[in-house]
Amino acid sequence: MVASSNAAAGHEHPNDAGRPAEPVGSGGARDWSGIAERGSLLGIRITLWWYRIFGRLLTLPVVFLVAGYFFVTDAAGRRASLAYLRRVYASDAGRRAFDRAPGMRESFRHYRSFALAIVDRFSVWFDGPDQFIFDTQGAELIDRYAAEGRGVLILSAHLGNFDALRRLAERTGEVVNVLMYTDNAKRINRLFSEMSPEVRDRMIVVDPSSVLSVFAIRERLRRGEHVAILADRNELGNRTRSVTVRLLGDEVRLPQAPVELAGLLGCPVVLLIALRDGAGRYRVFIESLAERVAISRSGREAVAAELMGAFARRIEHYCCSEPYQWFNFYDYWGDAERSTRAAT
Amino acid sequence: MPSRNEIIAMVKEVLQQEFDLTDVELNLDTHLVDDLDLDSIDAIDMAVRLEERTGLHFEDDELKSLQTIGDIVDKIDGRL
Repeated sequence: MVASSNAAAGHEHPNDAGRPAEPVGSGGARDWSGIAERGSLLGIRITLWWYRIFGRLLTLPVVFLVAGYFFVTDAAGRRASLAYLRRVYASDAGRRAFDRAPGMRESFRHYRSFALAIVDRFSVWFDGPDQFIFDTQGAELIDRYAAEGRGVLILSAHLGNFDALRRLAERTGEVVNVLMYTDNAKRINRLFSEMSPEVRDRMIVVDPSSVLSVFAIRERLRRGEHVAILADRNELGNRTRSVTVRLLGDEVRLPQAPVELAGLLGCPVVLLIALRDGAGRYRVFIESLAERVAISRSGREAVAAELMGAFARRIEHYCCSEPYQWFNFYDYWGDAERSTRAAT
Repeated sequence: MPSRNEIIAMVKEVLQQEFDLTDVELNLDTHLVDDLDLDSIDAIDMAVRLEERTGLHFEDDELKSLQTIGDIVDKIDGRL
């Protein structure tokens, strides 16, 4: 087993408010990465302990209770959930996923879906991925690159279950390294590291003040290993390296660095999304985003905008297909801030 | 084998061309981060360009220790 796929485990909690994708024109806004993780390590430890003693079935009600607690007490997260669901509903493709306009009931379902995803992650980590059925489309892409000895840059999002990567790695024996933004989730990272030294070995910790994480990415890609990044948040490299793309009806800023890295290192870029498809089942989608990224100094931003735009379109597609599996419970589009600015 | 002065000129040329630093005075003490504001992606970019020019392959441990233009020149000079 060679993968570590607990990336950003602490980012996506409904109570982990933050701002990854700075909305266009929101200069000076707080960056999500500057906001400390608010989740309690003790709470996570207790839940994990509960899971290990009592198993999945008895953990589900506990996690649902916690999700219910956050739904009731976390007004900002609830607003963000509803705003997101309404964005999906506003699109022709997304509307089909709902039987009515999203309201509190749908928002609660969103929280409940997050709770299920958390328990699934526990299951993957403690019981192994074999208990899940993964219907994988596009795995041959990774296989081909692996056979050629080429490391792949894997872009994913806080959508579905990123831990399906672990399954991918186990299936083929390939090495998948996961980029983590440790400032924002250092406590949960510590927990995962304690759980498994292997996890720590396969994490690439991003420190914006240091070039070391990027060197680590290069080193591992050069070795033919894969590197996975949750690219729906602007977290790698210099803050100014981001591009504006459209996602669910509005502009967001996504990181430019993955595209630049892929261009500089000559590695292919793929999208990987794993969506829950009922109890014990996942559909995994692996799609090529770029066989090779050709960048020049002057055209770098345009190339990045094109590739990240394609990434955003696919994310939007999957959000419309499974709207309750998007786990960014904060003001992702900066709606609240825009309203405040308009008011002042 | 290029002379040290030729290596200095090459490094300066790479920095000026690749990072639009034509208006900046570059010398051996120029700090890559503090003076030129290069970030992590720039560092990889620079390494790739220098590898293309010199035919060398820089290990990441080597790159991590580079802080100034002088460090780069010393590294290349020591390897060529």
